[in-house]
Amino acid sequence: MDTTQLLKGVLDLAVLAVLKDEDGYGYDILRRLREAGLTEVGDASVYGTLRRLFAAGLLTTYVVPSESGPHRKYYSLNTAGRDQLTRSGKTWRSFATTMDALLDDRGMAA
Amino acid sequence: MTVTGQEITDYVDRVRAALADLPPGVRDELTEDLPEHLAEVAAEGEGALVDRLGTPEAYAAELRAAAGAGEGRRPARFHRLAEARERAATQIRLLDRQLGPVLGHETVSDFLRPLRPAWWLVRGWLAALVVAWMVDGRSGLVPRLGGNTSMGLLLLIGALVASMWWGRRSAGIIGWRRQLHQIATAALLLFSFAVLVQVDERADTDVYNGYEQTSVDHRYERIEDVFVYDQQGRLIRDAQLFDQNGVPIRLGWPNCLDSSGAVPAPRNAYPYCPELAPFGAPGSPSIAPPAPAPTDSGTPTPTPTPAAPAPTTSASPEPTSTR
Repeated sequence: MDTTQLLKGVLDLAVLAVLKDEDGYGYDILRRLREAGLTEVGDASVYGTLRRLFAAGLLTTYVVPSESGPHRKYYSLNTAGRDQLTRSGKTWRSFATTMDALLDDRGMAA
Repeated sequence: MTVTGQEITDYVDRVRAALADLPPGVRDELTEDLPEHLAEVAAEGEGALVDRLGTPEAYAAELRAAAGAGEGRRPARFHRLAEARERAATQIRLLDRQLGPVLGHETVSDFLRPLRPAWWLVRGWLAALVVAWMVDGRSGLVPRLGGNTSMGLLLLIGALVASMWWGRRSAGIIGWRRQLHQIATAALLLFSFAVLVQVDERADTDVYNGYEQTSVDHRYERIEDVFVYDQQGRLIRDAQLFDQNGVPIRLGWPNCLDSSGAVPAPRNAYPYCPELAPFGAPGSPSIAPPAPAPTDSGTPTPTPTPAAPAPTTSASPEPTSTR
């Protein structure tokens, strides 16, 4: 099964999750996702998702001047973003549990 | 680092071109992080950007889908137009940078920018030419109004001043005013090119064309016909006039009808109209040659004599002797 198809559905949740404890700029967020195991996530998908979450009012941004290189735009979760993360997290957990149970019932190995 | 700044700029340009149908604000938001992101990717390892990220067009499509931007608000038929325009703009920016070093500058724009006041002057002159052409239906390299040079000079000065003024003002204009300005400039260039071609054609054809080699001078403008009398005061017909180089002297123009009722063609044989001789018409049209008249007939000799009194006023000795 193509993970890129699955990623489309959960990328919002994944991005919100990696921003839960620490603000980050675009490339930084991309690296966190890949380090977490989502190696197939596309650069443009992450940037597009960040723009969309920002436009939906779930993220706030601020610019940090950098001595070495260009200024970086940092994204951080606001209250609405945290609420969304909680809701989406629960939805995913429940969905994943349902899927696990479905597969377990039929004796599929993890 | 194998990825150059140039490669990053080109990649960004192509992504932006692929998003050309989006409203400019949305597009700017989507691509504002892109240069620094590409710089990070470039710093991370070897290989071209296209190999690691895919084509800029694919990147743009993924960005568009993930951001939920979808298609732009512009109607679909403008979509291709906007894309083509964006691609052309990208190409021009590329050429601008590539050809700059040839002219000793970073970009061609850097080279052209100080020359703008010169363009304003040329534009003023072209505008004056076009105005003169529209008023008169023709124009030279110096504009004239109704053939009047000083009016043309006023027009030229006015156009130059207006063009300089507009040049200083037009730098900051945007939106439809800018488009109008560009369309007007293109139209001016087109029209003035047509006018200049016309001027050039006339300059080419005017050289000696339609002129015969004659010694006509402005002092003889008022002369319509030439009457030559011999020593006896007889009118000489079909006299031919030449200057010291043997070039026919062309004076005047036929001002009467010949026997067939038509205006005779100008030729080097005077007078055109013997009947209009100032000192009396010749008695008989048969005396053509100025040579000894008696051979033709005896009649002409006495008839010209009435013409003689007039030459006496010029104190010429011959007519007096005939009397």
